[in-house]
Amino acid sequence: MNMLPGPAQIAAICLSAALPLLLLCYARIIRGSGRRFRLGCLTVIILFVIACIALPGQRQLDDVLGGAFLLATAIMFFYVLFSLLAWGFTLTLLTSLVQAGRPLTSEQWAAAYMQGGDLGTFTHNRLKLLIGSGMVMTTDGRLAPTAKGLAVAQFVKLVRLSTGLG
Amino acid sequence: MSFVIGLIGVVIFALLAPSLQLIARARAWPLAPVTLIAIAAAVSHALGVILGALLLPQFQYWDAASIFGFFVMAYVFAFGAVYKSVSLDILLGLVNRPERSTPLSVIVEQQVPHLFQGRIDVLIGGGLVEPENSHFSPTAAGRNMAGRVGQLRRAFGIGDTGLYDFAE
Repeated sequence: MNMLPGPAQIAAICLSAALPLLLLCYARIIRGSGRRFRLGCLTVIILFVIACIALPGQRQLDDVLGGAFLLATAIMFFYVLFSLLAWGFTLTLLTSLVQAGRPLTSEQWAAAYMQGGDLGTFTHNRLKLLIGSGMVMTTDGRLAPTAKGLAVAQFVKLVRLSTGLG
Repeated sequence: MSFVIGLIGVVIFALLAPSLQLIARARAWPLAPVTLIAIAAAVSHALGVILGALLLPQFQYWDAASIFGFFVMAYVFAFGAVYKSVSLDILLGLVNRPERSTPLSVIVEQQVPHLFQGRIDVLIGGGLVEPENSHFSPTAAGRNMAGRVGQLRRAFGIGDTGLYDFAE
């Protein structure tokens, strides 16, 4: 049993560790959380390709493939954490309650979460995602799923069933 | 062949993780779904490595670990997306209606407040928020966590609205 990673895999592990540091640096330069994360990913992917070309010695396919899998794993891992920080509903509810500095009713809490807005503003924000991605359409003032939305809903139900969420 | 061992670990994980979720729900185990996924990942990875070490004299740990990590993270990614996504809950709410359409006001006045209440219950259940009559206030653990989240958001230049920024 060989526990030592290959050169491309070492490069991928190092770049995986560098990704959050890169995101910290980009926080001072690039506006927009999503754009910043995409640029961070693009940077580490380019650096990985450069490392695969520039590292001395002949490249082994399994080493490069393993490295690519490791880097993709790290990107998904940090995306899960980053998206929780940036767009997490429950976490933002908590931070808004703490920032209020006093006990709130559920209506006041909703207003504090929306920073002056209401649940309608929040609903519109989430619906923009569904409408923008072509999953929901509005006709005669009513919302309805598109064919794409129905397909996504079926897929979500399948994922929920297969992951034990029911 | 080490990649194949990694894939065998993925298959074990794909069977074990949902089984644990179902058993935990049936027996009311006080464990979060994410904790169960972590347990399933650790057990299936360990089984895969033991299998690889026994079957392959030239077992390459990192080849197996890379493909295992990739598919397990893809699973976690999909799980996280469908577990408590507000957008997908709204979509499923629409699809599950007999007429498959609804006025926006129904979502704003009924479904979203229900989702909102569900998240409040999660925070109370996690010991981060406590109800006092008709009011809610953060516990010491809640304040602590909110402080850490705030520090991380400031460090990564993330705003604290939790809304999608479509302008970017």
